[in-house]
Amino acid sequence: MDGQISAPTQATSLFDQTVIPGDIIADLPSVANLRVGSGLRQDCFELLATKVGKLRYKKPNKYWLESSHKRYDPSAEDTILGIVVGRKSENFLVDIKSPSLALLPVVAFEGGTKKNIPKLEIGSLLYARVVKAYHGTNPELSCTDASGKAAQFGPLKEGYMFDSSTGLARMLLSTPTCPVLQAFDMQSFEIVIGLNGRIWVNASTPSMVVLISNAIMASEFLSASQQANMVKELTDRLQACCSVR
Amino acid sequence: MEQRLANTWHMTINEKKFIETALSKNIRVDGRSPVDYRQLTIKFGREDGSSEVQLGETHVIGFVSGQIIQPYRDRPNEGTLAIFTEFSPMADPAFEPGRPGEFAIELGRLIDRGLRESRAVDMESLCIVAGKLVWAIRVDLHILDNGGNLIDTANIAALAALLTYRKPECTLGGENGQDVVVHDPEVREPLPLIIHHMPVAVTFAFFNEGDAMVIDPTHKEEAIMGGRMTATLNSNGDVCAVQKAGGDGVSLSVITHCLRLAALKAVDITSKIKNAVDSYNTARALRKVKRHTSLVAPDITIPDSVMKDNQIGQLAEHKAQKFKEESTKTFDTESVVGIPKETDLFNKKNINFIRKDTDSFIGGPSNWDPYSQSKPPNFVRSSQISPGSSTVDHKQEARTMQIESNSEETKSNNASSGLSRTSSMSQQRTTPKSLKDAVKPKSERKNRPSSASGVN
Repeated sequence: MDGQISAPTQATSLFDQTVIPGDIIADLPSVANLRVGSGLRQDCFELLATKVGKLRYKKPNKYWLESSHKRYDPSAEDTILGIVVGRKSENFLVDIKSPSLALLPVVAFEGGTKKNIPKLEIGSLLYARVVKAYHGTNPELSCTDASGKAAQFGPLKEGYMFDSSTGLARMLLSTPTCPVLQAFDMQSFEIVIGLNGRIWVNASTPSMVVLISNAIMASEFLSASQQANMVKELTDRLQACCSVR
Repeated sequence: MEQRLANTWHMTINEKKFIETALSKNIRVDGRSPVDYRQLTIKFGREDGSSEVQLGETHVIGFVSGQIIQPYRDRPNEGTLAIFTEFSPMADPAFEPGRPGEFAIELGRLIDRGLRESRAVDMESLCIVAGKLVWAIRVDLHILDNGGNLIDTANIAALAALLTYRKPECTLGGENGQDVVVHDPEVREPLPLIIHHMPVAVTFAFFNEGDAMVIDPTHKEEAIMGGRMTATLNSNGDVCAVQKAGGDGVSLSVITHCLRLAALKAVDITSKIKNAVDSYNTARALRKVKRHTSLVAPDITIPDSVMKDNQIGQLAEHKAQKFKEESTKTFDTESVVGIPKETDLFNKKNINFIRKDTDSFIGGPSNWDPYSQSKPPNFVRSSQISPGSSTVDHKQEARTMQIESNSEETKSNNASSGLSRTSSMSQQRTTPKSLKDAVKPKSERKNRPSSASGVN
């Protein structure tokens, strides 16, 4: 069981480093009330990585792995974008890019009762929250926040949705504002980012929507300055095209 | 049922509406103009007749193979051509393994019609013995990734593979003069197929009841299009095939407009295919020449004594880097070093053996022998000046023999891999030199004897 070699109680050498599955992160008897996040597994007194990613640590006891995938691993309290694909008795069947379909109770909307079930067609796009996600069962969603208010959850109208990786979605949601979004500061647009790698954009003109979506898709592996340059280049090209037309 | 729903790809109402509205203003979601193709990349594999084509995200592999069969009774002096498609489930969640679906069959038929009805591939040249034996050419198209517009991509893959395929040469021989002898590609250079012209397929997608039209639709655009039309043309502007299977009706003016556009696109794509095939053929010819070089080298028992130790180190590093590059290239044309089949060349006895083989070697480009002209490369010259292998120490001798060893095969019988790398590197260094040397002007030739004597 030779993983990453580090001093037994000292795992600091691995923080913010890329680890691969099988790497031993830390020996744990020293840490009380350990909180293990995604991508890590507790094995007796050791923390093992089960995915490729960057190890993150928040004092005093939170460990997790940041990785980027095209498929989504549901976990509770994530906000995601789902597509309604069917209805099954008391639940809507929603696709959230996870191994199994998610279930959204028909009453899980603000002021939702059996009498006023929202009419969601197949192919509707929803912004929802993952309530429960256990391995082997269908994840459960809700279109309200914990207190029962709508809080901007629910179906999205108009706009354009595209797929990306979970890593890009997290990068767009991080603070301070991601450079590619910063570059569009002067424009007015709406954006909804799902942690399952789905992004919805809406703006006043289709060309703006196309510009923003392509800029975001291209920005995943670029550095901050590269992102700014790329956006500038795309905007200039669009201006040139528009002036020609 | 639920699992099937979970695994299918779903499109939202928002996307559908957006793409349609944008198209009514001639805006495409990936920023292309409605008549632009995505980026086209054509690569070739190690064997003749294998191609890999990428059009944006769509990825198709083509492979051509030949077999000798009895001809059809109504066409006794023509060969046959068959297209097979395989829609791998990894390309699209909608593709199921097993029986080809409706679209798979349509794709195969479309490409087949474009090549056969237009007589692009010469069938009569595939005949070996009229009425008895002909070549059956089989084109296999594997769809690896469905990013939209499989028809055009598969067509280009088929064309690229057919243009680079070589069939073994056949002659009549044997005891009674009636037997067909199929010559090994090592012995007789295999022949390319005769292709008269290149039928290129151009696909159009119609939206909004025939109002909007785009070329080279992506996967999303294909999901919401109202109808599709494929026009197969060659660069001369001849229409080889037109296919429109159902979908929204379009007016005649739209169809003629599409055909005119297709003619322009066909010219563009034909030139791209030609460029790719030409560079492949050049690389292939270079490979053939180098292989001949390696087979001739055993004639010389004295190695390149000009190499110094630090040079050897540099060359080893360079070769290691080349290995790294080559291992990352999955499907690139073979680079510099040739692969002679004989690997066990440690003994002197084998050298004499090989000398005989080189005499019987017949080939295409390798018929041109730079060494028969009066300008052999440096190491040959130096060896001629210092005859008698007794003066050479065994280490250098081992190095010469390892020059011929296969440096690209992973299993190498060499004692020290470093040594083999350097020797193969020396081969690499000398072979480009040899081609250059063959063209060196006479004035420089006078310097040779002095330098060679300096070596001695």
